[in-house]
Amino acid sequence: MSGYWAGILSILAINIIFAYGIFIPVASGQLNLGGAGFQAVGAYSAGWLSASFGLPVSVTIAFGIIVTGVIGVLIAFPILRTKGVYLVLATFAFAEVIAGAILSSEPLGGAMGISVPGYIDWYVSVIFAGLVTVFVFYLMATRFGLTIRAIHDDEDVSDLMGVSVRNVKVAAFGIGAALTGLSGGLYAHSFSYIEIQGFNALVSIYVLLYVLLGGTQTAWGPLVGATFFTLLPEALRSVLPATKNFLVTLFGETGIVAPPDESWRFVILGALTVLMMVFRPEGLVTRTMVERLQFWRPVSRGVTQ
Amino acid sequence: MLLLQQFVNSIMLGSVYVTVAVAFTLTIGILNFLNFTIPTLFMIAGMMGWALSYYGLPLGLSGPLPWPIALMGAVVLTIIASLIVERFTFRYLKTKYGDSTEHAIPLVSSLGFLLVLENLVRIGYGTDSRRFEGPDADLTMNIGGIFVRVPQLVSLAVTVVIVLGLTMMIKHSRIGRGLRAIAENPDAANILGVDTRRIVPVVFILTGLLCGLAGALFAINYGEVSPAMGEDIGTKAIAGMVIGGLGSIWGAVLGGLIVGLIEMMTVHFFGADTVQVMVWGALLLTLLAYPSGLLGHNTIGKGKL
Amino acid sequence: MSAHSPLLSLKDVSKGFFGLQVITDVSFDIAAGARMALIGPNGAGKTTIFNLISGVYTPDKGQINFAGQEISLVPSRKRIGLGLARSFQNIRLMPHLSVVENIMLGQQSQAGGLLSMATPLMGRSRWRREAEDLLARMNLETYPGEVVATLPYGIRKKIEVVRALASNPKLLMLDEPAAGLNPNETASLRDFLMGISEAGTTILIVEHDMGLVRSLCDQAIVLNFGRKIYDGLTRDVQEDPLVLEAYLGSRHAQENAHA
Repeated sequence: MSGYWAGILSILAINIIFAYGIFIPVASGQLNLGGAGFQAVGAYSAGWLSASFGLPVSVTIAFGIIVTGVIGVLIAFPILRTKGVYLVLATFAFAEVIAGAILSSEPLGGAMGISVPGYIDWYVSVIFAGLVTVFVFYLMATRFGLTIRAIHDDEDVSDLMGVSVRNVKVAAFGIGAALTGLSGGLYAHSFSYIEIQGFNALVSIYVLLYVLLGGTQTAWGPLVGATFFTLLPEALRSVLPATKNFLVTLFGETGIVAPPDESWRFVILGALTVLMMVFRPEGLVTRTMVERLQFWRPVSRGVTQ
Repeated sequence: MLLLQQFVNSIMLGSVYVTVAVAFTLTIGILNFLNFTIPTLFMIAGMMGWALSYYGLPLGLSGPLPWPIALMGAVVLTIIASLIVERFTFRYLKTKYGDSTEHAIPLVSSLGFLLVLENLVRIGYGTDSRRFEGPDADLTMNIGGIFVRVPQLVSLAVTVVIVLGLTMMIKHSRIGRGLRAIAENPDAANILGVDTRRIVPVVFILTGLLCGLAGALFAINYGEVSPAMGEDIGTKAIAGMVIGGLGSIWGAVLGGLIVGLIEMMTVHFFGADTVQVMVWGALLLTLLAYPSGLLGHNTIGKGKL
Repeated sequence: MSAHSPLLSLKDVSKGFFGLQVITDVSFDIAAGARMALIGPNGAGKTTIFNLISGVYTPDKGQINFAGQEISLVPSRKRIGLGLARSFQNIRLMPHLSVVENIMLGQQSQAGGLLSMATPLMGRSRWRREAEDLLARMNLETYPGEVVATLPYGIRKKIEVVRALASNPKLLMLDEPAAGLNPNETASLRDFLMGISEAGTTILIVEHDMGLVRSLCDQAIVLNFGRKIYDGLTRDVQEDPLVLEAYLGSRHAQENAHA
């Protein structure tokens, strides 16, 4: 396999895990706009342990998962007391505080970043992505998954049905954080170098949009969303130069500008977001759609997921 | 004396945050909508001001425009952009089930718009900082040993006028009464004969105006604009708004000034790297410990999102 | 709990909001196995009584006893496990869950425990089977896999009752179950509730359809302006002077408003 495709597959696998980490709290109705912060915790925990003590990758990644998961649970108690706009802002602020703390921390390399020994091949991340996908599908099929979705629809009635709303939300937040930490650890070891600028607010926005556009009603959503938007730039590779030339002429530029092609991917992501919110706010994959695609199943058994 | 000079500087710095913070607080207070395009609108004002003064109108309709006209044009364009945002974000919010992701529709579309607008500007004009040829930004006055730059003083004056005008308008005008009715209860406002479809765009016109003026003042003050200029101001304006209390205009003023003060003092005592942690830490603490902020109303933003 | 003590009893319960007294010194008992109606003009405080019993609100004053236990301070989430289940005035099923999943949510208090949270609810799990059986017994077996939001109103109304039943309640509280149903649907609802009652479940309903109230409930409590004005047999309710005044008074007012 060429290095190019190996890189794409690594990032695809990492994005899928990352998206699932955000999906679980979002499925319970908690918009987490601090994804990059949690991913940074995972990446730096693993990277620091690896760079400072030379421990094996399995240990460092496990450490990253645990640290992020524990921080997720600890921060969940105060953060989940806030609601609505406040929750979005609190998760966002959390990510900024993490980024700021890493930026001003000497042992974590500050603005310079750190090199991470213990390189892992693309297939490690892909295997993990497969396992995480199976895990989340399983989780959403359990009673825990049922209560998560019930809380998303109506917190007050869930409470009256006997669901411990707070515990379920904290657990969802913690499990999500741990998965995000796993994606961070894999990132650190796949790309051998991490810098805090790579975990900025935009990253938090992208991953939340992958999840919301994919759909939050089923575990298919994040898989579809993350895959689509990670592979989109590859698909657009040939279309882009022509469009770019056209726009450059329109804006009256003469040669001094070299538009970064990355930008197109995000223009499309943004435009699709706006259109989806207008026409299909529930996301690409919905319950009803999954149900229709399961026509080969016996009707009386209904939807399994 | 040095500390006093720093204090004056922090007020000047804070006044930039204030205008943007007021824009944020206005949309949250009236529409319960955290509009993430606000920093982008601010950036668009700056970049369009530069583009009009550097290239002139598109398609060769005019040569480079003088800076005051360019900036006025930029403010108008920003208001138009804000109205486009309204067209696609807020107008389509239809709550069918009242679940938590549904209430996030405007917020999520505003994230989409953020990506589209930011990246289009990057594609059109590149990512570099651009010199804005305005009036002499370094014209300085010496008031009793304290140095104040004249453009900064003008900005401060404009900010004060905007805030006073806005509060007067909301308190006394017919439109202001409509806005307050919607803030209180959108459904009841509708029943009481407030035409929400006509009043809501007013919020976006005001948002565009505030962001446009802030961007123009920024361009004059710093003599430099870039596609990234919204990020820093935007995050600090959010911090100011939260510290002051969501939905309160005077809270946003106070909060913006406090953030300016925190920033200056942090730079003075700890160095620039810790600013992010201090500002966002203050924000996170406010959210968790005292969510209504200094002057906020404790009901705003608590609704479902 | 002695054989004669009532299943549910309210003693001098009062509740106000922002200085507005909504419920004033209401006391009543419901015996196990009864079919009780809670009626009264709009705004009399019927739904508030439901919210006090189910724990959405805490009373300002007074006691609520259920199955021999004082429950005013029991958290709302624990009350369904004691045997108190309810439906809502506006249907509050989870719109994105399928019918059978809504019923399985109703079983939450029965499932209990951390381990049950990790059990899958797919295929042949015990909970799914029980939910499907319950739906079949209520003649709703056609819909188990469908997402609730897409179903007609009358069906959703019934499913909400079945969801409450899934917790094996001692007391089933229904808030206007017949609102919006046509006469045929109301008749079928009546038989449905009769069946539930015969199986031993105590029923408390808030209902405006007096036909349903008379044919289903043997006893009635009438509220007006947050106070109890009648407590007795349903068949005598329309001869009670206070009740007549409350209803005719309000009907008078309505007619005047229309004129």
